[in-house]
Amino acid sequence: MRKGPLLAAIGAVAAISIALLLYIWYLQPTQRAPALKVVVYSYLDVITGIDPSIEDDTGIVVLGSVYEPLLYYDPVRGEHIPALAESWESNEDGTVWTFRLRRGVIFHDGTPFTAEAVKLSIERARDIYRETGRGSGYIWDSVEEIEIVDDYTVRFKLAYPQRVDMLASAIYAGYIFSPSALEKAGVEDPLDPNLERWFNAGNEAGSGPYLIEFYSPESEVRLRKFEKWWGWTVVNNPDAPDVVIIRIRTDPLDQYNGLLAGEIDIASSVPRANLGDLKARGFQIINVSVFHNYILQLNCRRYPTNVTAFRLAVMHAIPWGELVDVALQGFGRLGAGVLPYNFPGYDGNLRYTYDLDLARKYLEKSGVKLPVKVEFVYQADYEENAAFAQLLKSRLADLGIDVELKPMAWTAVKEAGKEVWSSPENAPHLIINDWWPTLPSPYDYLYGLFHSESTEWNWAGYSNPVFDELISAAYEAEGRDYGEAMRLYRLAQKMVYEEGAGISLWEEIRPFVVSSRVEVPEKALNPLYIYVIFFQHVKVRG
Amino acid sequence: MPVSLNYLVRRVGWSIATIAGVVILSYLVLVLSPGDPAVKWAGNPRGPGAAKAIENARKELGLDQPLYLQVLNFLRMAFTGDLGISIAYKKPVSEILWRGLAATLELLALAYAIAIPLGAFIGVMASLRRGTWLDGFIQSASLVLANTPTFWLGIAIFMVLSTSGVTAYGRVDTRLALATGFRSITGLYLLDALVQLNFPVFLDVLARTFPPALAVAAYPVGVCARVTRALMADALLEGFVQSAVAWGVSRRAVVWRYAFRATLAGLVQVSGLAFAYSLVDAMVVEYVFGRDGLGRFLFDSVNTSDFRLATGLIIVVALFYVLANTLADIVQALVDPRVKL
Repeated sequence: MRKGPLLAAIGAVAAISIALLLYIWYLQPTQRAPALKVVVYSYLDVITGIDPSIEDDTGIVVLGSVYEPLLYYDPVRGEHIPALAESWESNEDGTVWTFRLRRGVIFHDGTPFTAEAVKLSIERARDIYRETGRGSGYIWDSVEEIEIVDDYTVRFKLAYPQRVDMLASAIYAGYIFSPSALEKAGVEDPLDPNLERWFNAGNEAGSGPYLIEFYSPESEVRLRKFEKWWGWTVVNNPDAPDVVIIRIRTDPLDQYNGLLAGEIDIASSVPRANLGDLKARGFQIINVSVFHNYILQLNCRRYPTNVTAFRLAVMHAIPWGELVDVALQGFGRLGAGVLPYNFPGYDGNLRYTYDLDLARKYLEKSGVKLPVKVEFVYQADYEENAAFAQLLKSRLADLGIDVELKPMAWTAVKEAGKEVWSSPENAPHLIINDWWPTLPSPYDYLYGLFHSESTEWNWAGYSNPVFDELISAAYEAEGRDYGEAMRLYRLAQKMVYEEGAGISLWEEIRPFVVSSRVEVPEKALNPLYIYVIFFQHVKVRG
Repeated sequence: MPVSLNYLVRRVGWSIATIAGVVILSYLVLVLSPGDPAVKWAGNPRGPGAAKAIENARKELGLDQPLYLQVLNFLRMAFTGDLGISIAYKKPVSEILWRGLAATLELLALAYAIAIPLGAFIGVMASLRRGTWLDGFIQSASLVLANTPTFWLGIAIFMVLSTSGVTAYGRVDTRLALATGFRSITGLYLLDALVQLNFPVFLDVLARTFPPALAVAAYPVGVCARVTRALMADALLEGFVQSAVAWGVSRRAVVWRYAFRATLAGLVQVSGLAFAYSLVDAMVVEYVFGRDGLGRFLFDSVNTSDFRLATGLIIVVALFYVLANTLADIVQALVDPRVKL
């Protein structure tokens, strides 16, 4: 058989096939479906869970678009923004709070939103915390009873005065879910662990502007616009995305590459060194001051940092004026006290000065013999921590203090930090903790970082009964005399400051990088709800 | 039958012992390294009850038991195929493993679809022109290819393509996939696109997989070329090849039907070993190209103290090695009547 004609036939078939494929490739997408408005948001961390009552970590980036609380809080303007509640009031001593709920709201599964959902959601968060210690349900500790007055009115009766409006706008533990979730998960008891498994399998029961279409927490979460969301007429944004993809990219350089390739529209964590290049290529950089601050904690239970004068010597040897530029390349604000700027209870006066003479005087007073060696542990993958560590090492060397740098993965940092309680001699002398709040109250920071019972996060090992008493009194005072509560919180911070147990080094200004396809207005980013983008306000061009 | 039952039993026995060793070693390394998985499992609790939550989590994970019991329990889980729920993601480990494996396998398969024919072809060309400049060039080039660090090559290809405006990031164009209604069924996007007759996505996936596949293919191309050349040089001197030449069989038939066929057994053996080795290369390269897969999942799982997922991923890699080697042996025995197992 001659092979020529056969080869020619095969070639012709191949050529036609390729032509057909190319034809389909170019024409088919536009013919099959109308153009969707898509936004791809790349986020730096893996999603750890999406149970609205329990999750108190990175799941917030999903929960924030899928669920709604009763209220949001705008910390910059110091005002609440109604969400599922339209109005609220309390009695004089702040022990009874009544919320009138929004009518006409439906959950994603079509179930109408009523007071029953509020009672179920908040009681579940509170009770899971009481039973297991998990989640942020402790914020509802004061709630003795949630009374359903009628379908659209709930009354919170408290054991002690509290600002329930602040609790209701917390970042975690305040999300309302549909009671139908129990039936779908095949459980009767809201505390049944199967309900948590059901949520974490990618199911949801929210009422927010977006619903979960695909859930793969290790790589991608896809959200679809919920057309029946009550708020679309309020936000009036016809250019809101139809589809939101939250893409997990744990390497900042990967986010940069994704932006250049057009596969990412909004990036949360691009290397700061690449920002100039991105700006030159037409990307927009939105600098958002977030309530995420970095706190230097000094081990109060190990020599020589257990000597107050030595701790103050260290504090005065830090070149505070250079910190933001060197460590954060300008993307931050110098810290003060413990709380971040604009946060309730912030005190901008609680700053140390860079004064080596004063530092030497404190050193002399401390009686610590030089040279002396101290260990400094920090999270290795935060570039700002590494830069600060080098700066600190060089300045303390001037005083005869040798700093041994120990960069570690976050999980190892935490383990080293909490060792201050079990084995202080093995815990580092200096460590950087970072914190963002669960609720807009100073108690959240001050309890977590410096209360003597907070053995998981108080890495200074700071134990001061007067401080503990003060912040507890302040927390209880929040409900009846907010001004007095803030005064007490400032006093507590001053105590930590004067003892040199810890200080907020800086607050982060997070540069979100946005492609030209997308517009992210100011109201889409709220510093309290860190990393959450309120996509209902985002506009997709073209 | 070239493969005896005795061989299979011995091989299965060694494989089980190898996997068990890997499980024990990786479990110990991961659990004893700094970082507390119980913190992640409890959800990084920050409230007053954080210590209680972490203690409960430690019990749930069995980390409060003596180490030997933990290891035994994990071995039982591994050999029953149930690695439990991922600590970081709260999803079954098996689901995440499959997603990662499918992505990495797709890349690896394309790389080998390029590497084996190309490597074999240039190896044959070199053997037919022994001693010429072409032979020298091919030998040098294959030596360079086989020894170039794959991650470096991956970065170089990615940078060249990025600066020239060619998109090689990720596995599929997100907007195209959404617009055409593409759905991942098996996790093998090329196959999924074909099953759904979604040719635009098929071509897009192919175009995005090709550059990283080239990087992964470098090592096996180099190895196959060198091995083929050496085996062919021997085969061309064999009596049956000389006889075929004497009988006047055409040159093409002598080369491909007689000599090349004789090199197949050795080529299969080497390719099998290289295939397993390239899995790790693929894991690194996919990270560079922004592709999800075993590489990124392993990196993230170690960072989050997710010892269940990390161990699962290491088991997959070990299993892959064992299977690839065993298959290579069996295929070698099937194609070469001189080999008996």
